[in-house]
Amino acid sequence: MKFRGLALLTTALTLAVGIATASSALGATSNTLTVWLQVDAQNGWPDIVAAANSAFEANHPGWTVNVEYQQWSDHLQKFDATIAGNDTPDVIEMGNTEMTKYMAAGEFANLGGVKSQFANSSHWLAGLQASATYMHHLFGVPYYAGSRVITYRADLFKKAHIHAVPKSLAQFQADLVKVGSMEKGVQGFSPLYVGGEDWYTALGFVFDYGGSIATYKHGRWVGELDSKQSIAGLTAFQQFFDATQPKSSARLDGSNPFPYTVFSQGKTAANYGPAWYSCCTGKKYASATKQFVMPSHTPGQPMPGFLGGSDLAVPAQSANQSEAEAWIADFTSTTSEQALAAKGNIPNATNLLGNSVNDKAAARSWFVPQAANWVEVENGNILKTMLGAILSGQLSVKQAASVASQNIAQTLNQPAS
Amino acid sequence: MVPAAATGRSRRRRLARQRLTRGAAPYLLLAPTVIAVGAILGYPVVNLVELSLQKYGLFELVSHHGSYIGLANFSSVLGDPIFWNTLWRTIAFAGANVGLTMAIGVLLALLLVRVSTWVRLLLTGALVLVWSMPPVVAVQVWQWMTNLQNGVLNYTLTQLHIGNFFEHDWYSSTLSQYGMVTTLIVWGGLPFVVITTYAALSQVPPELIEAAQLDGARYWRVLKEVTLPVVRPVLLIMTSLSIIWDFGVFTQPYLLIGPGQQNSGNYLMSVYLYVQGYGNTNFGRGAAISILMLAVVAILSIFYVRSMLRVGDE
Repeated sequence: MKFRGLALLTTALTLAVGIATASSALGATSNTLTVWLQVDAQNGWPDIVAAANSAFEANHPGWTVNVEYQQWSDHLQKFDATIAGNDTPDVIEMGNTEMTKYMAAGEFANLGGVKSQFANSSHWLAGLQASATYMHHLFGVPYYAGSRVITYRADLFKKAHIHAVPKSLAQFQADLVKVGSMEKGVQGFSPLYVGGEDWYTALGFVFDYGGSIATYKHGRWVGELDSKQSIAGLTAFQQFFDATQPKSSARLDGSNPFPYTVFSQGKTAANYGPAWYSCCTGKKYASATKQFVMPSHTPGQPMPGFLGGSDLAVPAQSANQSEAEAWIADFTSTTSEQALAAKGNIPNATNLLGNSVNDKAAARSWFVPQAANWVEVENGNILKTMLGAILSGQLSVKQAASVASQNIAQTLNQPAS
Repeated sequence: MVPAAATGRSRRRRLARQRLTRGAAPYLLLAPTVIAVGAILGYPVVNLVELSLQKYGLFELVSHHGSYIGLANFSSVLGDPIFWNTLWRTIAFAGANVGLTMAIGVLLALLLVRVSTWVRLLLTGALVLVWSMPPVVAVQVWQWMTNLQNGVLNYTLTQLHIGNFFEHDWYSSTLSQYGMVTTLIVWGGLPFVVITTYAALSQVPPELIEAAQLDGARYWRVLKEVTLPVVRPVLLIMTSLSIIWDFGVFTQPYLLIGPGQQNSGNYLMSVYLYVQGYGNTNFGRGAAISILMLAVVAILSIFYVRSMLRVGDE
């Protein structure tokens, strides 16, 4: 009897401890909000992330936010793996060109019903809101945008007796040629450092001349790069590239070395890219670093620039939907967005826009076709291949544009995988 | 007294049991291995085949449910000119890499036989160091060395007046990209070939070589008629293994050339599979490409299996 009593007591204790451990473990898991942000936030605005986390945790006692930073190059593959394992984060940052495929597949929670919960939602940038909308339903919250501007060395332009910001593409090209010939003694110098395969730059010319990548007509995508206007834009880009890139230093891949690295080494007078490039032009040139909007071939107009940006979405598998929405609301609050703007980004709403060069550049912008398969065009490097063929002389503009246009239409019209 | 008939029956039963146990013994001994291999390799292969017969993209990943479409993935891949171009390109690439690895490897092994013990130890040590370097790290080191601005390769070539390699981009053309990848793969593949060939060379009976030399055979003749026939089975196995490895190589071409520079004009099979399967989230199509690659590798493995069997017979 004594032994039986002891056995019962031991069993009861073991069960109690087991249940307590399991419930505390369950509690710990369900009280953690997992957020995937890109490394840009880690490098550029960790203070804004920390402030949002603090605000969320203050309003949600017992909750902690676990922010995991991801790389652009592989975050989608990692995200797919979490979908397969039913272990998705509660909030994920997506590039605005990446949203469509996942929205179409039903991967994100519909946020239409809680839109008013997010600050400035009635003034969101139309381009960003469109990237988070599919079939008239809202699946993401605009986070921030970035346009592309010219970052240049004012001291070199001044030395070349250029005192005014160029008002047209032709003027800008002439200025660059002037700076280039002045600095021809510097080995490896490019007046404007840009990779020939940088399709964000090249397509600005296409849109500037009235062209586009693809349009949706009668239920099908039609390639537009071989249209008259697009070919005019690509030809203008080819001429601009040839005139401003000395043969010895012309590059097809403009990401290696990175543009602002070349700038900081004193080997270029200008970069064309996101406004935050000004962060890293080097101590030596920091005071000479200035920015202006890339001019159009039409005098007085800015050239349309790619409106890059990010949205925040809640994966459908998240068990913490309302907390995820609350964290997004904290992270996209007016204070957060103003702080993001102060760091060289475009805030997510028109009422928060200022008069910065970045904001001005966003006045004329372009975006990629909103097709479920667009990401396959990027993965297949179709645009880079076209530009490489044009600039290396393998194909004429017309031939290369025609091949790319067909490939794009074929890819976009495939049944979504 | 036990009747004689009963004794005979029990003896027969015992003999039958013994025969059965003896007959089953090899299978029982093999069973654990078969079960382990079946679980580790069989299950994923069955899954892969199943996936290749399904439409399984992002939609299906989200709903965790694919739909069977028969052989549509295979016919779509086989009808894709990019697949065929990639296949021929990969075969040529693997051929060049295997040829170079084997030729340089065998020459280095022959050198090892003739050098002093110290030099041999030094060379072997260097080879083991190469072997111990993970491919991802090796790619990083290679990228530094071939960096167009600050790479030691451009600097050295320019200093030696071999040409003006100031900011020379080693990754600007497909041929140049493959040149870099091949150098890295051959460099990484050499230790295995050299050390194994050297081990095989040390097994060549010295009396055979002496006899040939006494008969007046010179170095090349001895090598051709005595040494190579003895090490041939090892060379065959290494060649077959190298073909299999180099056909499916992924890390070096993907990372060294860079994800942003991969396109249908420079895909190798493994990169093509990765872009189609993972990049485009078309897992069914990716699985079909995997199986086709498996088939090609299986054909290439026939040489390996045959040479293994021959070695076993000998």
